[in-house]
This record gives sequence, structure tokens and C-alpha cells, in this order.
Amino acid sequence: MSTEAPRMFFREAIARAIAEAMRADPRVIVLGQDVGSFGGAYREFDGLYAEFGAERVRDTPVAEAAIMGVGVGAAAAGWRPVVSITYMDFVMLALDPLVNYGAKLRYKTAGRLTAPVVVKTTAGARGQGVAHSQCLESWLMGVPGLKVVSPSNPADAYGLMRSALKADGPVVFVDHKRLYPIPGEGPDPDAETPIGKGRIARHGADLTIAAHSFMVHVSLQAAEILAGEGISIEVIDLRSLAPLDVDLIHASVSRTGALLTVEEGQVTCGVGVEVAARVRERGAAFAVARVGAIAAPVSSNPVLEAASIPNAETVARAARLLLGARDSGHSGAGGGELSAL
Amino acid sequence: MILIRAFEQALAALPNHGFQLLSAGEEAVAVGLCSALQPGDQLLTGGRSIGPALARGVEPRLLMAELLGRAAGVNRGKAGRGHLADPESGFFGAHAVVAGNISIAAGVALAMKLSRRPNLVCILFGDGAAGAGALHETLNIAALWKLPLLFVCGNNQFSVSTPRRAALAPHRLSDLAAPFRIPASTVDGMDVNVVAQAIELAARGVRAGGGPAFVECESERFAAHSTTARETRSREDLQHIRARCPILRLTADLQAAGRLDGASLKTLELEVEAEVAEAVAFAEAAPFPDPREALADVD
Amino acid sequence: MLYRLATPGVGDEVVEIRVLQWHGDVGAAFAAGELIVELETHKALIEVRAGQAGILRRIFAADGAWIQVGQSFAVFSDAPDEPVGDDPAAEAAFLANFVVD
Repeated sequence: MSTEAPRMFFREAIARAIAEAMRADPRVIVLGQDVGSFGGAYREFDGLYAEFGAERVRDTPVAEAAIMGVGVGAAAAGWRPVVSITYMDFVMLALDPLVNYGAKLRYKTAGRLTAPVVVKTTAGARGQGVAHSQCLESWLMGVPGLKVVSPSNPADAYGLMRSALKADGPVVFVDHKRLYPIPGEGPDPDAETPIGKGRIARHGADLTIAAHSFMVHVSLQAAEILAGEGISIEVIDLRSLAPLDVDLIHASVSRTGALLTVEEGQVTCGVGVEVAARVRERGAAFAVARVGAIAAPVSSNPVLEAASIPNAETVARAARLLLGARDSGHSGAGGGELSAL
Repeated sequence: MILIRAFEQALAALPNHGFQLLSAGEEAVAVGLCSALQPGDQLLTGGRSIGPALARGVEPRLLMAELLGRAAGVNRGKAGRGHLADPESGFFGAHAVVAGNISIAAGVALAMKLSRRPNLVCILFGDGAAGAGALHETLNIAALWKLPLLFVCGNNQFSVSTPRRAALAPHRLSDLAAPFRIPASTVDGMDVNVVAQAIELAARGVRAGGGPAFVECESERFAAHSTTARETRSREDLQHIRARCPILRLTADLQAAGRLDGASLKTLELEVEAEVAEAVAFAEAAPFPDPREALADVD
Repeated sequence: MLYRLATPGVGDEVVEIRVLQWHGDVGAAFAAGELIVELETHKALIEVRAGQAGILRRIFAADGAWIQVGQSFAVFSDAPDEPVGDDPAAEAAFLANFVVD
């Protein structure tokens, strides 16, 4: 393990991965709103404009559909664009070129063309209101031809961005507003974070939590609370949503016998239900419950927002309920979402 | 033009021709446009792709095989008319989403520009696409970034059942380019020479690094929107429309100028007939893909 | 009198801050208004300027080190020869202006 892993801000890991790729390959370009001299809404593209200039780091107007199309088209023509969609909510505007063309290009041309584009977007609630807070990863997981990754820390942000920039098809890289203030160990430049592999963030024996992005931090906090009560939680950081690391989750659940999925998005057709179904298909017998946002839009109102999304307390409570249900012979613990209301 | 007409007629006569959008009446647009394209240029289209693909040089037998779903087709039968792609021939691809290929074409043009290649990208779309935000967003970006992108609108007066003037407010569709300061023209799409000249002129500016250009070709669609759509025009109207046939027009012009005689025309028609027959025979004899190919090339 | 230097809450959910660059070594005297140190949050640069005169006596977070919001990371004194230990806690807070860039 290299000693060259200085602590860094989340944004620095992303900027580093992209800068290195841009140095190594002149075909890597960045397109999006405020990516140029501004360096990105979260400063995640800091330094790129200064080093690579306006030809390769291009500010765009607010026109997500067109910019996604340009990125996907340039990828189809042999380039490697990073398309920045500042808020994940606005991926909706860009779905046609991404899903109808980009994700299907290799298939519909029988391999003659492919679109290696990286879509970088930020999800999550942080006081910005109903149309600037959504977590829509699960909407994209089921699109054949599209990969979806979601790091929870700087080292994986670097590793997954690196891997995404080497993939030969479209990859959506979803991070979270609340990850940006959290520094972490920098990347080991020799290590890879391959697409399709999760990570055990905390080892435990009594229950498996499967989470991604900011909810990994929330789940780790919940695990700390429960450790104080003598309950040992294993936390899996999914890292990759499509493809999912079913082997890792299944192995864990085979040991613990209980699976709690935690996401900030909606549980209906969410990440968690897919994780649970895949593990179930492997034949494991286990108790399962899902935690996610309540079935309502997420307001910018701080009281309502806090009540709408999972936190360490609600996750801990869900874990206790699930263990209680399991130990009294049920295979699930009532509804998928639990809230403080 | 004769090849396109004969090819599509042969296709439509086959029992399992599938869902097709045909170009009868619009051959002058496809052929005039492609005559001004050079090797290295790329053409993208919407769903009415057969005429443009043939005009661009996609091999008839491989195209017929593709349309009939055979593995020997341009894209192993997986694309069909709506998505066929033969980039090595300069036919980057069709895309069946109305207006869906426009911003893609701008991306291909950006790649062209960044590669410093002296080529252009042409996006052919119909009046049906002209109301879409994708067109307006792409006109803006193309102008802003001076992309080597040639917008060609094949205005055949209808979007399925909706007449052009019931769908679009501008006086001429080429007016759509004006707010973006893109040079634009509207020409007679029933005259292959007029189309060729207009495209050639517009392309010159694009190739010189002047940024995008826009050419609207006003044409007529001789049949219904698709092989399953109902015709909305009266028989009498259709008679007048079909009298404007670009093939008849060109042959009449050439004959009047003494540059084409009856025998040569006949020879040409027979050659085309033979080529089309061979394409059909090749395609019909070719096998379908193995069902397991349904999982091939996903990612 | 000894004074501790600590960051106030800087909003935006900032918990950890990185020391970017000290603008004086231990022993340096700062007049009110002078730039002491630059700090970095995930979003912005913070210029820390002296709100009172003082001598920088101890640095507990060097360039590149990480500090928590509210954590004391330096000690100042009025006079250069006042005895000062290695404890970042001090009875008074050093007046400073934190200008977020």
C-alpha cells in the first residue's frame, strides 16, 4: 500500500482523476455549465481550465439535452467527454440522448459504434428545494448499456472516475452534495476502483447494511450507535450500482442473515429493492427491510427536509426493528421507509 | 434517384418488409445533398433513412439485408431502418427519435473540429423535427462554437398527419436559423441540381471554418408517412404531387438538353433493376441472427 | 495574556478545514488587519486577519494540516516573552476576522 495518499477534499479527488486523464489522453474533454474558469459548482473541475484551456474545458449554456447530445455524439465519434450535469434532477432533461442513443449505440450498431461518455452529476438534499434535491440513481440502473457508479469518499471518487474514463461505453458518475465537505484519505495512485465492485466499509456480524454515497456515512454513524448497544453492523459501500456487486452483498448476508438497504432516494423501485431481489435470487434466506426518503418531495425547508430523508437515528431504529422482526420469526420489518414523523 | 425509387418499391413489395418510412418524392434531396458531401464527411439522419443511406453509398445488398433483419446486414439486423449506421461509408447513422440525432450530430461535428479534420457533418431532419427544442438548442451551440455542421431540413410538408403550417409558425423553416446568425436558404427540393448547388454553396462556407449553415429543401412525400400510416391527402391532390417527380424532371431536362437518350435511360433502369434484384436475393437468402445475439453488444 | 485562535462556524456544513498557508512564523508580530493565515474549506478560501495586535507563539496545524471548526490551532500572546506551553487551549480568544473568499 502506497504511502502517497494525502488527505484531500472530495472535489480534489475528482479534479485529480480528470486532470490525469486529460494529460494522458488528448481526447478527454469536459462540457457543462460553469466548468471553465469557475471550476465547477463544487470546484470539482478546479485547475482544468487553466491547464487545458477553453477548447477542452467548455462552458455551455443551460441546455442539458443538447449538451448531453453533444457529449454523446463526440464520444460516438471517438472522443472521451465528461458531461457535467450540475444537479442530478436535470439529468431528466438529458435522458433522450443518453438513454435512447448513448446507451443503445453499441447494441444498435452491432458494435460498430460506441459512446464512451462520462456523465458526472450531483444528487441529494441540501436545502435547495423540491427540484434540486433528488436522488435518481435507480432510474438509470435498469438501462441496458448504461453503467452507474456512486462513490462515498475521495479515494473511490478518484478510482471510479478513473475507471469511468477508461470504460468503452457510457457511465453515469453520481456523487452527493453532502460529500463535498467531507475530506478523506486520498487515492492510492496504483490502486483501482473497478466498476462493479463494492467495499466493506465496516465489518460486522449481526446485520448487513447496503448503502451508497452519503448514506454510507449515515450508516456508519448508525453502526456506531448500535455498537454501543452491543449490535454489530456490517456496512457495505455499494460503490457501483450498475453493475451491482451481488457476490459481495450475498456473502455478507449469508453470514449475518439480515439485510437493511439504505438510500436517500425513494424506496419504490429504488436501489434497495434491486439489491434485495438479487440477493434473494441467489437463494439466501434472510430478513430484509428498506430505508429511504419518505414518499414526498424534499422541500428546502430545513425542518421538513430533515424529516424527509434518513439519518443515523432512523437507520439505527430500522436496524433494531429488523433484528427484532427476524428474531421473532418474520422475514421482513413492515414498510420500506421509516421516518422521524 | 432511380436506384432509391426502385429499391424502395422492391422492398415495399416484399411480404415481410416491416415498418418502413419511404422516400418516394424526396429522392432529389437525398441525392442532391450527398453529391455535395466528400469522403470523410459524415451524414446523420432521422428515421427516413433508406434514400439518404443509398445516396451516401451504403451497399444496397447490405442495406436490404439490414432492413429485412438478416445478420448479414449493415448492423447484423439489429438496427433496421430506424438506426442503421455505416460510418465507414460516411453514413454515421439514422436515429428513429424525431430530432434525436440533431444534438448527436453536433457532437460528431465537435469531434471533427477538435480533430482538425477538414470535413463537415450533415444532419438531415424533417419538418416534423423543426419544432423540437433539440433543434433550437443545437442551432445555438453550433453557432456559438462554430461547429462544422450543416443542417438540412427536408420539408416534405407533413409530420405524419400534421401539415407543416399547422405545426410551425415561421414563414420559412430556414428562418429558424436567423436568430443564431447562421446562413440559411430555402430551395426547391424537387430539383436535384438546385439541391446540389445549394448544399455545395452552404458546405463551402462550413468547410472554410465559417461555422454551421442551414438549407431547407421543400419537397413532397408521394406516399403516406409510413408503410402503416393512413394517407391524408385526396387522390386528386396526390396526382398533382406525383407529377412533380424529381426523377421525371431530371430525365426530361437531360433529354431536352440532348444529354440522355431513351436507350441510355432504359439501360440505366435495367442496371438498377438488376442491382435491386440482386440485393433482394442476397438479403432473402441470408440467415437471421441467432436469438442469443439479443444479448450481444449491450456494453 | 495568551489567546487561542480558532475558526468560527463558517456555514455550508463545513466541519473540517485545511490550513493552506501561514503568513508568518512562530515569533512573528501581527498588527490588527494583517493576514495571519489562509485556510481552505471544500468551497472557499478564508483569509484570517488579525483583529488585535499579537505575537504568534505556537502553531498546532502547519501548512497542509486539517483542523475542525472551533478547534484552537494557534496561540498568540501580547508580549514576546510571556511563558507559553504546548496546550492549544488559552483563556481568551484571539480577535480575528475570517474573510471568506
